[in-house]
Amino acid sequence: MEMQEQLRKIQEEALAQLAQIDDKAGLDALKLRLMGKKGELTLLRRSMGQIPAEDRPKAGQMINEVVAALTAQMDALDERLKAREQEKKLAREAIDVTEPRKHTPIGMQHPISLVQDQMLGVFTSMGFDVVEGPEVEYDLYNFELMNIPKNHPARDAQDTFYIEDNVVLRTHTSPVQARTMLTRKPPIRIVCPGRVYRADEVDATHSPVFHQMEGLVVGEDVTMADLKGTLDAFAQKLFGQDVTTRFRPSFFPFTEPSAEVDLTCVNCHGKGCRVCKGTGWIEVLGAGMVNPKVLEMCGIDSRKYSGFAFGVGLERIAMLRYGITDMRALFEGDVRFLSQFRDD
Amino acid sequence: MKVPMQWLGQYAEIPVSAEAFQDAMIHHGTAVEGLEDQGAAVQGVVVGKILTVKDHENADHLHVLTVDVGEAEPLQIVCGAPNVEAGILVPVAKVGAVLPGGITIRKGKLRGVESCGMCCSGPELGVPEYLYPSVGDKGLLVFQEDYAPGTDVRPILGIDDTVVDFEILANRPDCLSVWGLAREAAATLNTRFEKPEIKVEAVPGRMSDFVTIEIKDTELCPRYCARVVKNIKIGPSPMWMRKALHAAGVRAINNIVDITNYVMLETGHPMHAFDLAKVKERHVVVRRAYEGEKIVTLDGKARDLTTDMLMIADQTDATGIAGVMGGEESEITEETKTVMFEIAAFERSNIRQTTRALGMRTEASGRFERGVCAATCREAADRACQLVNLLGCGEVIDDVFDCYPNPKPREAVEASVARINARIGMRIPGEEMAAILQRLHMEASLDGDTLTVVAPQDREDIETEEDLSEEVLRIYGYEHIRSTLLRGETAPGTRNPHMQLSDKVGRILVGMGLYEIRNFSFISPKLIDKLNLPADDPRRTMLKLINPLGEDTSVMRSTLVPSMLGTIALNQSRNNETAMLYEISPVFDMAGYKPGELPHERPALCIGAYGPEVDFYRVRDIVLDMLARFGVRCEIVPGAQPYHHPGRAAKLMAGDACLASVAEVHPATMAAFEIGKRTVIAEVDLELLGELRCKMGHVRALPKFPAVTRDIALVMDEATTVGSVLESIRRAGGALLESAEMFDIYRGAQLGEGRKSVAFSLAFRHAERTLSDEDVNPVMQKILAACEKNNGAVLRL
Repeated sequence: MEMQEQLRKIQEEALAQLAQIDDKAGLDALKLRLMGKKGELTLLRRSMGQIPAEDRPKAGQMINEVVAALTAQMDALDERLKAREQEKKLAREAIDVTEPRKHTPIGMQHPISLVQDQMLGVFTSMGFDVVEGPEVEYDLYNFELMNIPKNHPARDAQDTFYIEDNVVLRTHTSPVQARTMLTRKPPIRIVCPGRVYRADEVDATHSPVFHQMEGLVVGEDVTMADLKGTLDAFAQKLFGQDVTTRFRPSFFPFTEPSAEVDLTCVNCHGKGCRVCKGTGWIEVLGAGMVNPKVLEMCGIDSRKYSGFAFGVGLERIAMLRYGITDMRALFEGDVRFLSQFRDD
Repeated sequence: MKVPMQWLGQYAEIPVSAEAFQDAMIHHGTAVEGLEDQGAAVQGVVVGKILTVKDHENADHLHVLTVDVGEAEPLQIVCGAPNVEAGILVPVAKVGAVLPGGITIRKGKLRGVESCGMCCSGPELGVPEYLYPSVGDKGLLVFQEDYAPGTDVRPILGIDDTVVDFEILANRPDCLSVWGLAREAAATLNTRFEKPEIKVEAVPGRMSDFVTIEIKDTELCPRYCARVVKNIKIGPSPMWMRKALHAAGVRAINNIVDITNYVMLETGHPMHAFDLAKVKERHVVVRRAYEGEKIVTLDGKARDLTTDMLMIADQTDATGIAGVMGGEESEITEETKTVMFEIAAFERSNIRQTTRALGMRTEASGRFERGVCAATCREAADRACQLVNLLGCGEVIDDVFDCYPNPKPREAVEASVARINARIGMRIPGEEMAAILQRLHMEASLDGDTLTVVAPQDREDIETEEDLSEEVLRIYGYEHIRSTLLRGETAPGTRNPHMQLSDKVGRILVGMGLYEIRNFSFISPKLIDKLNLPADDPRRTMLKLINPLGEDTSVMRSTLVPSMLGTIALNQSRNNETAMLYEISPVFDMAGYKPGELPHERPALCIGAYGPEVDFYRVRDIVLDMLARFGVRCEIVPGAQPYHHPGRAAKLMAGDACLASVAEVHPATMAAFEIGKRTVIAEVDLELLGELRCKMGHVRALPKFPAVTRDIALVMDEATTVGSVLESIRRAGGALLESAEMFDIYRGAQLGEGRKSVAFSLAFRHAERTLSDEDVNPVMQKILAACEKNNGAVLRL
């Protein structure tokens, strides 16, 4: 059968060519030659009128099969060619990923803010509310209600800036405690962060302006053991599980008993180093049970309620945490210093 | 307070090493600053007997000695001291010896002659003249008594002790004394504490034959105790007393003065000794200063007195300031024959006021300010007399002046064992508490749950149950405090609204590349001048400190700008190429301030930025973006502060209120702050932002129908602001106009001088259908008309 022979020949030739074709133009030319208006297969289909009617369906089917097979092959080749083109394009588009570009890096909060934020996170998770108060404060709240009457030697420990006789720059954030006790009923759990002032000349370890965070808990049956537990939890969350607290007797007019609180040295983990002067401990907090006189002056029944308070200097924590040796760097604002801090 | 261990050891048993003692004291309530081992500074120095003295052959002033240092062979030592002599005993630093300052003695040759050690002077051993009299630095120290050669010199010279430097807490003035510390030491170590038995051998006599004393103010002088000693023989005090004083950091002077200092250190009572021959009419008056009275103090300054100050006076004039400083004319001298010892108690807050007012502080005033116990004055006076007996330096008169009209007996403090345990979170039995308190020399008895305690008279800090709880706990040991967690409700805490807002503002700014700074809140008033503010600007009124450290830090800032510009200047001076900074802090707003009240502390934000990538627009958009985060949209209005570049300054208006400002800094202000590179500054009123911020509402559904976009270019005068044109477009665009953005500005000759062409991209959309040209065209016409009418902006063809 002549047409069958023709068809086989076309297919063989087409397949042989397909194997040779290397680009889109070649493929298009082949397509045109086979299936264009005057393509071999198109012509063959047109010549179907010349064969007997009863053979036509079979012939048609044979042509269709060859067309389908060749089309599939050509499509597959087309895909491969396209993929190769894409690869070439991508190769041309390669860039030097190490090439630097001008951009503005993300900034950062001040180290005091970072430390404060971490500490507030710890304390709020333990149920402490954050309260702030004025920096220019009445003597009444700063001293009198803290059991530091006028002409009391305890005032010497806190060299005070005065605005007027009865108005000072607060020397601690304790006045916020007083204000809170005067307005809230127990149970009270607060921390008071903020800026405080003492008439110290500026040097590597002193600043007339610095930051504190004080905590106050007032409730029924609050004990010194709760104070230790709270500070242990704080120290561990801030500095790690191997850190504990050590209490030493001390004196503050607003607490009784009072304690200086040492932490396991965060630098050497208690082994003894330069930071802790070989003792394995660093002095970080002052704390104690709220003096009942303070509770009473602030309108809280000291027979029913007891409480504890603690205070910590944020500069001290920041300096320990980040290995800062000169406090002045914290207030200077040199971007080369500020850009070294990051979240952790 | 410095106390040698041997002095403490006279009254308290201390059966542990100095280091262990220090540790125990620290952990039971007495801080220790440090230990000084006197002996460590001088090692290998022994008594040497000079056997022979020969002149050095090659030197005029050197001698070659043979010295017996108790060894088999005498040492040959070359020595330059003028007072060498065969037979005298001198300190000899042998080879390998250590002298103060870390000097080590080596074998050497002096002008060719071998020298195996060094004979020492007092200063070379760190021994001052008053401690061991010798011939000063001109020659060798020569021992006055006979000692075997080879004997360690340190005990002889009184430099063999360990000195403990105690830091005394404000509530424990009783520990500013050897007796107080010895009591504390014994309680800490659970050993015996005993004061000496005080007995005075006195001769009969009447005080009034020697001195008359008048106490005119028993409120400021609750007790005045005086004793007289006659037939005084002034001379040096004995070695043990000089040694104790030296170790405690006090210079020995003569027996009478040394006794007053010794008694002060031992008992805590400041004492004063008057040479009665020099007290006018032998009359001493304790009175308040007269109105307008003056006194010349030892430093030669005439000081104005007030009637609040207590004086020690003679019949007519004040001779000393009570509790602060004695009179010069009645000082003890070599010729003194009759002495009055004064041991008084003065009202502590009054002494404090006086020292503050006069700016004078002395050892005595420091002690009186912290509190000197009136009840023990007599004991101290008698102790001084006992030492006079012991030193044999005078005859004590048996009569005593003692004005003590209102003695305060110690009141018993009652405490509940259960409540103390509840407070400290422990279960210490009542019996143990009582035993601990007895260790502190308190009378303590237990009846059921009730402790009844009488503290020693000088423990004026013991007033309440809580005071006792601390005493019990610290002696029991703070290391036994348990660690428990708080009970009760455990709702998480919250941050106050201001903190929440400033935290968020900070985070947003940090995300946009800014670094936070923290400046001092007080500044120099001169900085405000640099801002060129008009005379009536409220920011010129700032809260002044009465006692600033200096002019630089003397007023509370009314604006954050000067501090920010200072920080910018610092960064530029350090060649930091770029800095984008912010500070959040209250400013002290004096509007409506009344003296005696508190100023308004208004939370504020200040941004300062410079660098190659920084300009006005960058900072403006940072501020706008930040504000938008809080749902606050602002209108940008040109407007400058005096420290702003007048053409590059904007106010961000939220309705009628100015919420923020952004501007380049005025060149004059830049110069005043020594800022070289163009700097942009922004200020935001955080208080107002706190009020304006609004909760986020519901989201808008995404549009279902396409937008129609139209780009137009409008030509307008250079002075016409893009913002005002955008405003016209938005208003005229109505509901169909979804957005209007500027995308280009063109300036060119064909537009003409002072003209610009601004291109806008407009998007129109209807929520329920697709818009056609017929919908959009009339709106476009309205927009163009509005721009022409309002802004003189015409379509560029």
